[in-house]
Amino acid sequence: MRSDFLSLVTAELFLLRKRASTWIILGIWLAVTAIFAYIFEYVSYRGGSSEFADSLDSLLPAALVSNISEGMPFYGGSLVLILGVLSIGSEFGWGTWKTLLTQRPGRSTIFGAKLVALGIALIPFVVLAFALGAVASTSIAIVEDVAITWPSAQALVESMLSSWLILAVWAAGGVALAMVTRGTSLAIGAGILWGLAFEGLLSAFASSVSWLEWLVDGLIRANGYSLVRAIAEPGGAGPGADGPGAFSGPYVSGTQAVITLGVYLAVFLGGSLLLLKRRDVA
Amino acid sequence: MATTVSAPAVEHRGATAVHPVRGLGTQAVAGSPALAIETRDLTKRYGAVKAVDSLSLGVRQGEIYGFLGPNGAGKTTTLRMLLGLIEPTGGDISLMGSAPGSPETLARIGSMIETPAFYPFLSGHDNLRMLADYTGATRSRIGEVLEQVDLASRAKDPFRTYSLGMKQRLGVAAALLKDPPLLMLDEPTNGLDPAGMADMRQLIRRLGNEGRTVLLSSHLMNEVEQVCDRVGVIARGRIVAEGTVSELRGDAALLVRVDRPREAKEIIDGFQGVAAVELSGTMLRVTARSDAAIDEAGVNRRLVEAGIGVRELRTDRRSLEEIFLTLTGGEERHAI
Repeated sequence: MRSDFLSLVTAELFLLRKRASTWIILGIWLAVTAIFAYIFEYVSYRGGSSEFADSLDSLLPAALVSNISEGMPFYGGSLVLILGVLSIGSEFGWGTWKTLLTQRPGRSTIFGAKLVALGIALIPFVVLAFALGAVASTSIAIVEDVAITWPSAQALVESMLSSWLILAVWAAGGVALAMVTRGTSLAIGAGILWGLAFEGLLSAFASSVSWLEWLVDGLIRANGYSLVRAIAEPGGAGPGADGPGAFSGPYVSGTQAVITLGVYLAVFLGGSLLLLKRRDVA
Repeated sequence: MATTVSAPAVEHRGATAVHPVRGLGTQAVAGSPALAIETRDLTKRYGAVKAVDSLSLGVRQGEIYGFLGPNGAGKTTTLRMLLGLIEPTGGDISLMGSAPGSPETLARIGSMIETPAFYPFLSGHDNLRMLADYTGATRSRIGEVLEQVDLASRAKDPFRTYSLGMKQRLGVAAALLKDPPLLMLDEPTNGLDPAGMADMRQLIRRLGNEGRTVLLSSHLMNEVEQVCDRVGVIARGRIVAEGTVSELRGDAALLVRVDRPREAKEIIDGFQGVAAVELSGTMLRVTARSDAAIDEAGVNRRLVEAGIGVRELRTDRRSLEEIFLTLTGGEERHAI
């Protein structure tokens, strides 16, 4: 049975590997990371902008963990939400659910294999982003003739794991939206609106409307940034209030963030499985 | 030439089965070993609409069973219930003694429901490779089934570039991948050119000859007539008739046009095996007893010897189309 499941995961990975959209999303993610985490700031720094006069430290290898992981709750999350939507929602559009569900494995097994494959597909999103950050920050350090200091291995591993968790929650959100809407367009639209607009606006208002704080404490974005801060810069200021991915709190503890994100993951995936098992497949 | 006339084995069902499904037990899944597919009072309701209405069906092991009905009659909904894709509102299903949709049942069923659905960006071969991983079929089996449906030469092309006929053939190839004892094929010749249709029917016939059970859903009378051992006619979600094609077509009649019909009737009435002679103008319609045959040459000779001019003499048998229109109230002409 185990080997059967591995065969399914292999098949689903083959499918993801063959889909152009997987590579396009990964490419956009790396490009966005390079532009906003390094290129934009470094060009501004080199341009002599006073606003970026102190930004060199954040571009060096020592700041790799915070610089890369801060993009995960924001554009990283939005992009993998699309990946999650497409991995499940496209099956409705192509009508391939009926093909898959009339083979041999049960619905739970098929869904499980799709999720495992999706989870594995998120690994390059994390690893390549960190690799890109390492190359970019090393290049900047060499050009600027600054000593290269790397974060500890533990900080790197913890940061990668937490980044994967943040991305997994957003991807699972995409899976759930696709399952609810039985498609891709509405799911992507609703997911992006929620992730970029709704959560961002609530977070922005929370600084002036105190009673919103408890609500924002429970949002994916707040918990993602809280986890990033807890690992990348414990007790630090967080990603700041300006620019893309701006988030100025409120923050929760790292433990609370992990638990909250875990609950989101379980609810998204459990709810999706329930829908798949109970619904008729037309 | 003698025309053999068989007993009218087919009855209109209305609300009840003509040939009651044999071996139906009282438990939810209590299939008879002789039946590969067995349903009892299978019902699917969408709000106020009954898509399938108390449908009882028995498909015997090793036969090719034609599931004949017009568009919207409930054929595909029934197949979806048999495959576990949709949940019946009521009734029982047994597939080779197992419940629908379970992994052990699905492992023994190859199916193609409506338009075949595959990943458009994968080639035909890679789509089957995906399904082989799902079913546990060997990679060598992929080549075999592609050869069987005559698609090997285009196997490396993306599915999205396939014509409708090629998609249908890939759908059948996918159904065969598991080498299943039971096949459910929904309109498999849809989109095929005449040669492709003939090839597909030949393939289905061959699959039946190999001992597989085939449930062939179709709205094409001639297809069902050519391929199937038995036929179930479905209309408005109910089986309205079931039997062999010959049974469905019923008794043959002998039509005789003569110049002195009343005298001719008296002569033919005395013939051995004749059940009835109906007179309509100058035409006599002669039907035989269920166990008898009419000697057409003998009828002709006797009439001529009596000095009666025989202007026309031919056998007449209702076509499956006529039967179908009769059974479905003639409302589904577009299905023919």
